Amino acid sequence: MFNSCVHRLLQRSRALLHVLAIAVIVLVLVSPAWGQDEIKIGVIMPITGREAKPGQYQREGIELAIKQINDGGGILIKSRGKKLPIKEVFYDDGSDQSRSAGMAERAMSSDGVVAVIGGYSTALGEAESVMPDRYQTPWITPGAGATSTFSRGYEYVFGTLSPIDLLGYTTAQYLGNLVDKGKLSKGLKIALALENTDHGVEYGHGIDNWNKEHPGYFNVVFSEKFELGATDFSGLLQKVKNSHADIFLADAHLQDYITMHRQYIQSGMYHQMVSYGARGPEADARKALGAATDYIFAGIWWSSKLAYPQVKKFNDDYQAFTGHPPDSWYPATAYDAMRVLAVAIEHAGSLDKTAIRDQLRKTELKNSILPGQVLRFGKNGQIQGSFVIVQNKPDDKVDIVFPLDAATGESVAPKPKAH
Amino acid sequence: MSAADFLNLFIAAVLLAGVYAAMSVGMTIIYGVMKIVNLAHAGFLMLGAYFVFEAYDRFKIDPLLGVLLAFPVFFFIGMGVHWLLVRRIATSDQPTLTSLLLLFGVWLVLQNLGYLIWGNSDRAILTPRTLSSIEIGPISFPTIRLAVFVVAVASLVGLEFVLHKTWFGRSVRALMQNKEAGQIVGVNVNRTAQIAFGVGIAFAGAAGGLLAMLYSFNPDFGATFQLRAFVIIVLGGLESFGGVAVGSLILALAETFVILILPASYQPAIAFSLLVVALIVLPEGIAGLWAKRRRWA
Amino acid sequence: MGVKEGGNVGGSSVSRFVSVVVPLLLLAGLAAVPFVGTGPNVIRLLFMTLTLVTASVGWNLIGGFAGQISFGFAVFYGLGAYTTALSINGGIPPFSAFLLGAIVAAVASLLIGLPTFRLKGPYFAIATIGVSEAVRVVMMNVPFTGGASGYRIIDKARFVQSHHYYTALVLAVLAVVISILVRRSKLGLALIAIREDQDAASDLGVNPFVAKLIVHALAAALAAAAGGVYARYSLFIDPDGVFAFRNGIAILLMPIIGGIGTIWGPVIGAFVYGIIHEEVVANFPQAHLLIFGSLLILIILFEPGGVVGLFQKFMRTVRARSSVGSHS
Repeated sequence: MFNSCVHRLLQRSRALLHVLAIAVIVLVLVSPAWGQDEIKIGVIMPITGREAKPGQYQREGIELAIKQINDGGGILIKSRGKKLPIKEVFYDDGSDQSRSAGMAERAMSSDGVVAVIGGYSTALGEAESVMPDRYQTPWITPGAGATSTFSRGYEYVFGTLSPIDLLGYTTAQYLGNLVDKGKLSKGLKIALALENTDHGVEYGHGIDNWNKEHPGYFNVVFSEKFELGATDFSGLLQKVKNSHADIFLADAHLQDYITMHRQYIQSGMYHQMVSYGARGPEADARKALGAATDYIFAGIWWSSKLAYPQVKKFNDDYQAFTGHPPDSWYPATAYDAMRVLAVAIEHAGSLDKTAIRDQLRKTELKNSILPGQVLRFGKNGQIQGSFVIVQNKPDDKVDIVFPLDAATGESVAPKPKAH
Repeated sequence: MSAADFLNLFIAAVLLAGVYAAMSVGMTIIYGVMKIVNLAHAGFLMLGAYFVFEAYDRFKIDPLLGVLLAFPVFFFIGMGVHWLLVRRIATSDQPTLTSLLLLFGVWLVLQNLGYLIWGNSDRAILTPRTLSSIEIGPISFPTIRLAVFVVAVASLVGLEFVLHKTWFGRSVRALMQNKEAGQIVGVNVNRTAQIAFGVGIAFAGAAGGLLAMLYSFNPDFGATFQLRAFVIIVLGGLESFGGVAVGSLILALAETFVILILPASYQPAIAFSLLVVALIVLPEGIAGLWAKRRRWA
Repeated sequence: MGVKEGGNVGGSSVSRFVSVVVPLLLLAGLAAVPFVGTGPNVIRLLFMTLTLVTASVGWNLIGGFAGQISFGFAVFYGLGAYTTALSINGGIPPFSAFLLGAIVAAVASLLIGLPTFRLKGPYFAIATIGVSEAVRVVMMNVPFTGGASGYRIIDKARFVQSHHYYTALVLAVLAVVISILVRRSKLGLALIAIREDQDAASDLGVNPFVAKLIVHALAAALAAAAGGVYARYSLFIDPDGVFAFRNGIAILLMPIIGGIGTIWGPVIGAFVYGIIHEEVVANFPQAHLLIFGSLLILIILFEPGGVVGLFQKFMRTVRARSSVGSHS
């Protein structure tokens, strides 16, 4: 009699049991686990949501570095007298800022990590950047380049992405160089279409800064911000048309790059030079736009075409590890973030987070794959590296066209009319 | 701005309206018959996009053909979802919260399914048609948008035909007007509901395919379109197809032309402001206004 | 009141005892958490959950008691977050900043409610989405609050996690107390009447419009306070974060899971949502949408009354068994 009562109750409480089971799992998982014989490094990247693709690539860069370090036994920790392997604790922040901040807080406060690498995109980086000082844990972002993150006097915040206004500046510098070489005339008009984010704003500033320093070269006749993920850019492109500019510079995420450039081509627009900021050579864009991407140029933080031996080795290792070549610059800054962190940990001689932070401030990564081959954090935690300008060439080729000493090909300027 | 430019913009808006209309019709059918607001619509748009993409990528099936194929495939998927999930919840003359949330759960599941199967790449369909335009004097029609527009209009016309000339269509209209009366007259509510749901999802899948021809997409795809579908349906009236066409046109025109005055970053706000204004001024949508006029005429 | 709505004669003193003691025990437990040494992550988790409790209980006032389903509560959460952030940066002490956020949201709720409450059924829900999204886009463009770059609070004070935690706890308790008071008052009865049949209620002399506006303002104020507390903790907010459509959905989901229209349903729902969502996301990064969506479907299909509904069925069965004696 009583048994059947309980049996019936249990049947009905099916869903409640479901919830209880999950609660139990939760309690088990929430208890902190302290790995004594490994170095826990938190990695926070979006692998779902809007920033999923670049986040995935950055994750791959970090994981390649970890694998290579662990293949050599790990990092030598003097205080332990031996090498300890790295254990990656990975979090997907779903391209959501509050989750990004929450994961950073969780990693730093409870999951026992000695450092965190995270924050693809400025928005996610800004949210995470509140936590490093709060929990005195070093944090390196390989994907957030807005200077605002680094100008708040934080002590535990580092970034391997050079400032975006420098990106804009270098873009303008490249165009100016083309004028000096006689490929473009002086006094051309520029139309700017900037995505409505810190990234877009800083890109615009960079271009303005260069123009102010070099009057007479260019004239910005149109500048407007657009919302991410729009379905239709006809109105914006119409305004660009109306401005009768010679050069079209946009700053956009991959999705908008594709949508906008499709409509650009469909409406038969033409400009002597076209750029989408830090986007250009991405494989997904080539697939989506085909020959329409030819002669688009981009300012990026790294290119697989750089002629350093360590870059060639990285390309081969990355291909073997992931099964595809490096896409644009994404994995590189992440790869080097992990490598410089490993060097700093070794120099610190212990797993003390503040000691590691102190070393990060001083460490130089000597065979960095980034332009300049030496990675060193600036006073505010951000590196001040240089950019490369790449230009898409027909048949899926890409050339580095600037700076000239790294160039693998000639700039084609102005663009041929058919494109 | 020259007259040619204006005309080009106008044409761009009209073509966009075609896309929007095709995308919203699926929700209208389901709401009209079952009073369910299909929050999983975005998920089916996404699946439709991937379906047409895979058809093109693996089997080299032309995307337009892929869209036509999507109709029957998603029809059965829709019927399946209805049989599995939707028929188990009570429906009434008022939209229920449970149906809203059930379909929201379905949307979350579909999104994850998308991630698990296709990963997080941005895909796009590139055919020779994609980047070309048809030029008639100074006016240019992007070929792909024209093709999408034609298919969208054809499917809407087809739907109107089905609604007015077939037995199923009459049942649907009967139920949309008055469920009880429809039952009294002999309409099989459950069967009609199931078929209507199937048709609604079929349109969602096909519309997703059409959208895939225009835009790049990933498993998150669909949310912005779904919100626009809301706007259109409200503008046009939740229960009328002619209204959907009108609503789409208004939204597309507003989005295309208001940008000329406002900075482009305000573009999404247009849709939503339109929505709110329309709701305040016309609580029954534009079609409601029409219906009122007709009643008094 | 409480879980045992319409309690019957046999177990009423027991059920009243339980319905007072259990919440008090829970409260005591929560208050003790920072001292028990569970670690900052647990405190963070509970902190977030408590802010969710506030928002959830708030939403339930208008959505559960009055039956007016809003999908756009993110707008109040966001307004609270931004108002609080701006105020704190302007030197206003935190609790006043929260209050200011609540007031701003309450005023906004009147502006929203006035034109939209006369809309029927789904039109109202869609209107709330429209308002919420429109505000989000505008905030993305307003330079004063940082636009798309977001806004940061400069908090010179040292970060003491337990301060934030107790603030959230106190706010959550306040929300529940308000909820109980509303439910027991004439206003509460009027709302239930309106929810069941708005026209009949107005025939009986209740002014549905005014009743809904009042409770909408209360609900908005609570959601805004939750947003403000969150903002003060996170220090960085942005329109795509606090005004996100998915926030409005989350605020709506919690009372559903727990039991819409009840006092404790929203609380339970917030705990379930907050804890599960976090743990699922952290440990199954590829599958959290699937798990959460499936859970939602299961709940909707098998127990629309949420956890509270399940519990009520359980209690009814127990009572039926015990009163029927030895028959089985």
